Amino acid sequence: MSLGGQQLLEYLEKLPGTAFRRLYQSPATALAIFRRMLSHHAKVIVRGLLYMPDPFPLTSLDIWFPPESGGKIHRDRTIAALRSLHVLQVSPPGKDRTQEIQITTSFKKGLQLAFEGGGEDGSFGVPSSLPVDPTIDIGYLDKYARKKWDDILHYVVNSLGVQSSSEGVSGPKASVKELLLAGRLVERRPDTRTGIGITQAGFTFLLQESNAQVWTLLLLWLEAADHAADSGMDSIDMLSFLFMLSSLELGTAYDTSALTETRRNMLPSLVDFGLIYFPRDTRQFFPTRLATTLTSTASALRTVSSAFTAATANPSGEPGTTTSTSGGPAGATPADKTGTSKGIIIETNYRIYAYTTSPLQIAVLALFCQLNMRFPNMVSAALRAIGFGITADQIISYLHAHAHQQMVREATVTGKTVLPPTVVDQIRLWQLENERMQTTAGFLFKDFESTEEYAALSRYAEEIGVLVWKNDKRQLFFASKHEQLRDYLKSRKKGE
Amino acid sequence: MTVQDAVDASEHYEIYNTDDIPSLYTIIIDTNPRAWAALNDVLPLTKALANILIFVNSHLAFNNSNQVALIASHTNRAVWLYPTAPDQNPHGQRKPQNPNDDIEMRDASFTTNKQQPPPPANKYPLFAQIERSLLSSLRSLITATTTEDITSTTTTQISGALTLALSHINKNRPPLRPGKQLHRPNPQFSQQVLRFHNLGRRPRRRQRRFAPRRGRGWFGGAARAHPGGQPAHARIAIDTLALRGSATFLQQASYITRGTFIRAQEPRGLLQYLMFGFGSGSAPQGLAAAGNQRSQQQAKKEDKANEKAANAAAAAKGGGNKGQKFLGSNASVADLLVTPSADSVDFRAAICLSIFCEVPEGAECLTCGTKLALGNYGRRIPVLPSKAAATAAVGGGQQANGNGTTVLK
Repeated sequence: MSLGGQQLLEYLEKLPGTAFRRLYQSPATALAIFRRMLSHHAKVIVRGLLYMPDPFPLTSLDIWFPPESGGKIHRDRTIAALRSLHVLQVSPPGKDRTQEIQITTSFKKGLQLAFEGGGEDGSFGVPSSLPVDPTIDIGYLDKYARKKWDDILHYVVNSLGVQSSSEGVSGPKASVKELLLAGRLVERRPDTRTGIGITQAGFTFLLQESNAQVWTLLLLWLEAADHAADSGMDSIDMLSFLFMLSSLELGTAYDTSALTETRRNMLPSLVDFGLIYFPRDTRQFFPTRLATTLTSTASALRTVSSAFTAATANPSGEPGTTTSTSGGPAGATPADKTGTSKGIIIETNYRIYAYTTSPLQIAVLALFCQLNMRFPNMVSAALRAIGFGITADQIISYLHAHAHQQMVREATVTGKTVLPPTVVDQIRLWQLENERMQTTAGFLFKDFESTEEYAALSRYAEEIGVLVWKNDKRQLFFASKHEQLRDYLKSRKKGE
Repeated sequence: MTVQDAVDASEHYEIYNTDDIPSLYTIIIDTNPRAWAALNDVLPLTKALANILIFVNSHLAFNNSNQVALIASHTNRAVWLYPTAPDQNPHGQRKPQNPNDDIEMRDASFTTNKQQPPPPANKYPLFAQIERSLLSSLRSLITATTTEDITSTTTTQISGALTLALSHINKNRPPLRPGKQLHRPNPQFSQQVLRFHNLGRRPRRRQRRFAPRRGRGWFGGAARAHPGGQPAHARIAIDTLALRGSATFLQQASYITRGTFIRAQEPRGLLQYLMFGFGSGSAPQGLAAAGNQRSQQQAKKEDKANEKAANAAAAAKGGGNKGQKFLGSNASVADLLVTPSADSVDFRAAICLSIFCEVPEGAECLTCGTKLALGNYGRRIPVLPSKAAATAAVGGGQQANGNGTTVLK
């Protein structure tokens, strides 16, 4: 799962069960959760059980988890993930009967509706019946979304004061700037030229793939809405609306009058992020590619982003860079990937070749690379040691996310790693020279009532994959998440 | 840890491509009216279609890049249900008027066609589009079916449908390297699964015609006799769900291609068979490799145990497991692969893997329309002895040398 998915997962796991019940009422949400948030194994389980009338014995799942691939641990982790999203119910273990699993009623109903179609809630968007402006096509929407989003990224990058500042970029709306400040992606620093400076979290944000960036910003927005309770915004309804947006069709006009009042109030903010296009004086809105790919899987995004680049190549028209793309706006289909594929190729000798015309991507690369040569559609650079406090993981995940199609394909076919191991090792070594500590946020569990309780809980933590460290002698352990452990402890107490 | 890394016993950080691999599911529905009439009391066609659509939707929901194709195998022709050709004759006549024409396929990226009605509010747009296409194609197919069509034959065009499916799959394969894709089985797409519903009872007459002769072209035209032969070559699994009757032949096909074969005891539970039985059809990555090896090992064991099935497999693979292994596509420079079987020579088109008994007219494949080059036809095909045969040969040689070395068994 990509970074964006993980952030969303963390956000969702904190929600109470009632919130999930409300979310799953919308088929679009159930479909989006199924598609984006579940691992492949989890999907296979959910699909198998979806139309099963009776609970299913847990042990029968073992066919899908052969022992050589981690078997039981893998199974338990998959089930724990499904439970944390309130997709699966597991009956409590008893002495005389086997554990049984079933899909929760609300999720079952939502996903069945999504597969079958039907229902009256218009959860997949009500298309507008009014005439549509013919100039608004997919190419136009792509250009629009890319411009909006690049404005936001430029705002963050420019706070750094690196070269290749972009002319003709207006910068994002004040509300977005506020959000970036509140989310501590940038902070006010009077000593810099622009008055603001980038933070560690800002680097993480910059180096993510664009889908993860969108989610980062949206989650900040949701959290802001949670805090400002008087704004009349309901974060669950907002989230549900975002999932609905993700299942809309690109290039189709949708009717705003079919939306509820609160959702209509969300539209201006979404326009600021570039998720939708909202022409003046009409009752229509158009989702852009940023919105329709919100819940796409990573491999789909790769092709989408290449189509995105093809359609909107050279957005700022910077002199000296020529477009090498042949796909016009109309050819912006994911199938259009030969020849126009962009990406980064990394060699084992620490050289990087980036096929890009985007000044933004070059600026990001300049954060951790020494730029050597610049060709009309390619930048050649060598990796250099880390400055600015970017972590090795951030660089590696950035390089991985933007790796060239050729590298990805080769790696998949030969079963090798995507990035050369020598390079990855070296990046980590650079970091190790600077810092010797690695921190993990989490929870320490101590002062157990009995040894059995310690043993049971730590074993359970290991099974669901949240255990980071333990010390049997002192009966301490450290876990990265606590929600499910708390539930487990409760049910254990109840059982006694 | 790999072998190289184990040398210095250090830990390496490796990043693998963990994305789900998109898969293309091709579903062939037997639409023989006779078979459905016999099944009507238990499972009417409409209900079966509704169930299949749900299954299709669930497959598409797995991954945004997943694709499906639906083909009807009718009494006298095989017809595309989805995707349909843009210029398809609405009256469902045999579509490629000129068999040498390339068939233009429409895929999911054509969804925003201006003439199409807007997507409905309560259904995912892609799901609605497939449903519409399936229903309209099927309706025109049924209205175009005449009484003569049904009375003239009792069979169904499975081999034609399979060939259509295969050429579609091969066309949709993204090239590994430009120009090389034809000769290299692409493991990235080894998970593509060909779904096959055998809904009707195979007529007896036909069955008998199938059984005694092995390895020759019964289907008169382009297709190879055994439905498993070509997909096995391209590593495409054929899954079969038989609703009625004995589908011996398809069982073999599933076996050869490492697919799943299910005989539905209770046809009313079609949906559950589909969702559960074929649910793990595209095995998760990582598991897939292990699973593949395991199934191959198992298959080897079973090969020995099941002599009869192994014979069939050997026949379908052109001499496969038994003693010799053809170098196959890697060694060939020609577009047409020549695979001599026991008593004859077949010509195999490199794109759709159709097999011809003789070179077709103008050296153009009748199925996929590719211009075929003959390469070094007539030259002897290089033959690789299998491992067992090789060791036996080496052992024999040593004995013949009279060195007196003991040959390890």
